[in-house]
This record gives sequence, C-alpha cells and structure tokens, in this order.
Amino acid sequence: MKYFVTLRDREFEVDVTADGVRVDGSPVHADLATLAGTAVHHLLLDGVSHRVVSTRQASGHWDLHLAGGLLRAEAVDERTRAIREITNYSAGPAGPTPITAPMPGLVVKVEVAPGDAVEAGQGVVIVEAMKMENELKAKAAAIVAAVHVSPGDTVEKDQVLIDFESPEAANVTGDRDAESGE
Amino acid sequence: MIRSLLVANRGEIAVRIIRAARELGIRTVAVYSEPDRMAPHVQEADAAVLLGPAPSSESYLRVDRILEAARSMDVEAVHPGYGFLAERAHFAKAVSDAGLIFVGPDAGTIDAMGDKTAARRRMKDAGVPIVPGLVDAVRDSAEAAAAAEEIGYPVLLKAAAGGGGKGMRVVEDAAALPRAFDAAQREALAAFGDDSVYLERYLDGPRHIEIQLLGDSHSNVVHLGERECSIQRRHQKLVEEAPSPVLTPELRKAMGEAAVRAAKAVDYVGAGTAEFLYQDGDFFFLEMNTRIQVEHPVTELITGVDLVAWQLRVASGERLPWSQEQITLTGHAIECRITSEDPDQGFLPSTGVITHLEIPAGPGVRWDGGVQEGYEVSLHYDPLLAKLIVYAPTRIEAIDRMARALDELVVVGVETSATFHKRVMAEKDFRDGQLTIRYVEEHPDLLEPAVDEEALAAAAVTAALLEDRHRRARQAPRIGTTGHGMSAWRRGARPGAWS
Repeated sequence: MKYFVTLRDREFEVDVTADGVRVDGSPVHADLATLAGTAVHHLLLDGVSHRVVSTRQASGHWDLHLAGGLLRAEAVDERTRAIREITNYSAGPAGPTPITAPMPGLVVKVEVAPGDAVEAGQGVVIVEAMKMENELKAKAAAIVAAVHVSPGDTVEKDQVLIDFESPEAANVTGDRDAESGE
Repeated sequence: MIRSLLVANRGEIAVRIIRAARELGIRTVAVYSEPDRMAPHVQEADAAVLLGPAPSSESYLRVDRILEAARSMDVEAVHPGYGFLAERAHFAKAVSDAGLIFVGPDAGTIDAMGDKTAARRRMKDAGVPIVPGLVDAVRDSAEAAAAAEEIGYPVLLKAAAGGGGKGMRVVEDAAALPRAFDAAQREALAAFGDDSVYLERYLDGPRHIEIQLLGDSHSNVVHLGERECSIQRRHQKLVEEAPSPVLTPELRKAMGEAAVRAAKAVDYVGAGTAEFLYQDGDFFFLEMNTRIQVEHPVTELITGVDLVAWQLRVASGERLPWSQEQITLTGHAIECRITSEDPDQGFLPSTGVITHLEIPAGPGVRWDGGVQEGYEVSLHYDPLLAKLIVYAPTRIEAIDRMARALDELVVVGVETSATFHKRVMAEKDFRDGQLTIRYVEEHPDLLEPAVDEEALAAAAVTAALLEDRHRRARQAPRIGTTGHGMSAWRRGARPGAWS
C-alpha cells in the first residue's frame, strides 16, 4: 500500500509492500520493532537507529516523539489523497487565519475593534493563563472583521477570538482544515 | 532535630522537601487540592490532608486550612517551599503564633525583603550597590513617565510586591510607557494582590548572577558561591548554572561579602538568595529572596551541601558547621527547567495528561520532578514539571552531559521546553559562556523548530508502517490468526515473507 505522509509541511511517499519499503521511489531497509504492550518503537532505517514513541491521534494522524522532539504526521493512502485533490480539500476558507485561543484562559484585554487594520505581528488580544499574560498577534496584515470576546471572558482552547477579512482576496491561507480528517 | 514537618506546597519542590525530611528521619505531612489527590507529593509523604478545590486561593493559599492540618496531624514545623505562601510574612507569623516552627526567616525579615522598594533602601544603607532607580512605588503612569525621564530609557517596571517576572515590563521609550504601566499593574494585582509598581534603569547587557546564603540562629551567615541564571524569557529563568563562567575568585568574594552583609543587616536565618545584575565587573543588588530557590540544586552539586536538609537543621536550632573558607566549589552544574510550555509556539502553556514519561539517568544526572505517567497538567498551577540537573568536572562536559540527558527525556502528552533546552546546549554563545539576560531575544532562532532531515524521513517511514499495521490489524480475521507467532504487519515488513 502506498502512503503519503505529511509532516512539517513536507510530503513523503512511502510504499509499503511485501517486497519492502520505498521512500519517494527509492528502496530502503526498514525494520520497525515494538516493545510489547507499549507505544515504544525502534526503527532501523538502513541500519540507522531511531527510537520513536507514538500516539495515534485521529484516523491517519500519528504523533511521533523522536530524539529531536515531537513530529505530527498524517499518513493517507492514494485513494484518499486523490479524493482530497478532486474536492479541493486542502483549501481553507477564504480570508486570513483567525485568532484562536491557544489554551484555556481569561481574556484580559482586546486591543482592536471591527474595521481596524492590523499589521503582521501586531498584538490584538491578551489572554492570561498560568498567571502570565500572553499577547496573541495577527499572522498577516488584515482588517478586523469581528471580535467575539471581551475582557473578563473565559475562553476554551481553539475558541475563535477574532476574525479577519483580507484587504485583498489573494491572502488565502492553505491547509488549515487538514485536521478534519478522512 | 524536629521530628515532624508539614510541607505547604506541591509539585517538585514538595517532593524535594519530603526527600530531605525522610533522610533526616522526619515524619512528613503533605497537603493537597482536590485534583492533586494522586500527585507525587501526596504519594510520597507519610500522611496527607486535603485543603480544598483546585484554585490556589481555595487550597494552597489557605493559611487557616494549612494550620488546621498541622494541628490535626500534630506536626512541629511547616516548610513553605517556594511560591504560594513562601514569602508571605503573614503566613510565617501565623505559623509561629500557632506555636510551630516556620522553616525560613521570621515574618519581620520576610517583610523587610518582600517589599522590593524597602529592600532596595535597606541595601543602599548597608552599602550594597543597587541598580539606579526609584526606591518608592509610583502611583500612576504620569508619575512613572516623569521618573523614567529622570532615570533614562530604557526602564524596567517591576511589581513592588513580588518576583518571578510577574508584573515586569521593559519600556523602550515614553510612547510605550502608559500601556506597559497598565499591564504591569494588572499583572502585579493578579499575582500579588497589590498593584504597586516601581521603576529602575534597564541595563543593556547584564548577566543575572545570584549568591546563595545560609544563616543560622546563632548569627552565622555563609554564602555558597553564585549561580548564573542569565537565560531567561520574560524574566522567567530557563537555564541555571553554577559557578558562573565569568566570575573571578576576587569578584566572587566581593559579591559574596556584599550578600552576607545584606543578610546580616536583616539577621537572616535559613536559606536565602541575593540576586544581582552583573555587567563589566560591576554588580548591582536586585532583590533578596527569603526562600529556597527553584535552582538550588546546582549549588548543592558544586558545594556538596544539601540546602533543604540545612534549612531543616537550622530551623531545629543547629549551628552551621562551616566557616566561609570551608565552603569550596568543585566542578560545574547545570539545570534546565522542564516546563509544560511549547517553545515553538512562543512558550504557550500546554495542558494534558502525561501518557508516557522516560526520565534521564546515568552518570552525573539528577531529576527533581513532580510528575509521573497519568499525571494531568492543568492550568491551575505553575508549568514547572521537573528540573533536569547535571554535574560534571568542567562546564563544557556538563553541557555535553545535559545534551545527552535531554536526548533521553521523553514526555508524551504535553509539549515541553526540552526542545528549546537542546538547542541552547548546542548554541555557540552558550557554549562559549557569552551570556546576557537578553540571550533568548538575541537568539530568536532558538525558538524556531529545527528540521532534521534524517528524523523527518524516519518519522515518515514510521508513520506509514504504523498506519499500515493499524489497518491490517483492523482488517485481520479474528479467528485463525493465532499460532503464527508474528502479526500480519511484522510479516509484511519482511520482504517476501508473505504473499
């Protein structure tokens, strides 16, 4: 079976067959062993040792802890990938990325109002968590379309705080919605 | 020696204190909040008492409940740890009024040092150099602006009541002052219940160097050398080491003597820390912390002195057995604070259940932790999960040892600061000892996810193989699969093994 694995904005084609494993068309020797009853794996990739602790998040989504830290991978098969391409799956909704709460917390201050123009990197809302104030910043230049919270509000992780509209239609972000899965 | 101790804290420091107490044969009583029922400190102590619900204000900050627990468990002494009530004079007073021993300096000393502006005045009077700035709190942003003009920008706004970076703001120019002042007041109020803010000059490239002090109730005070804690982010320390790579024996002596003078000026008893800014051979007193510090282990490793055990001994009335000359520094120690924060997302707090934890070990490695598998990291408390500490004969060996230990650490379930620490251990300026408290700002690449091509390819192959295995396991017939001794997936991974 051929899998397309996406991680850190890179895509690898990994073909797993009875004859072995190919990465982007080149044969590799891959031996993945697992410590029974645990999430601890050991991959020998062309003889080189990689220790991996895995957790399966959603269908096809794997969190992999390697020596370098956490890598979030998504593995899809050829058919799923083809369907996604036809349905333009990876195109996110039009408009710049909204500001979402990165963690549960308390809104301390909202620094913009609908209609305001913001620059990339400009602070727009301050959320307090673990007793520290965290200023959330606009990712790109945009116009504030809506402010959904006010100071004193308690917010959940991933709650949308501020929506933007793009000054020009070209400012469309990519595969933000990839999480919604197969 | 006291025979029983209530530990009025949680997390790694509560575990650390319980360990010291056990070695001294002291019975320990833990206190806990509802979600901490299964926290390591509760499991480690000889007895435990529930304080209340999750919020600190209803549990770990409830002086009445803590004293009630002490009474019901018939303990002789109370150790406050750090944070929570550790530097609250009213708590120290309530403990001693209840006829119990407070492990730390008395309420008067905490008061004298806890008000940062009063401490600055006191140090100035004792002849200890201080950072140029105000010795009084400012009332509003207009007053702050006037003071800032006088001191000269950039200035540092600080909460008069506290430490730990809360309520602190660097202000580059007059335009930025009003907003920064408001934020500093808000944070100071939220963290300490007191919105007093003062200003001092912001030095452009200082190092944070602090002196560990230990005093007994017989008027002896010694210092145990310095720690350098220059690697900070928003005034939260991230990496600490001892000794500092820049202090000469002469400077160490001068700073140590200034710190001892500061401690003697307030009749200091117990463990304490005098914090200084150091730049180009000059040092300025910042503040005195009247508690055990998070980073105390690096001093323990280079001096061989168990600071927490000595807090307990001194509280029991024992005399310090050393003269200043008998305190010697050997080797080098480094500590990394492993926090539940994601360095690749601007150190945003990360929450969740730790589903898998592998703790580094081997020569010269120490882990002071307060978590285990199954532990839930919530937003109620400090994000410090554990401290990873290493010891080696030289600084560079200690750095390499830390890098090795960090590679062994695996925490699954929450993001941690460990990836940042790994990058620091490999960074040239750090390895060369070229540090200032602006190190993190000056090395923004340390906050960028590093991409290791080899690891990416390995992860991609692993993900594909795991996904393949997962699908096969789901599709595999339930009957007749036993007896093969090998899963379908395993056979699949061996060329030609199945058809």
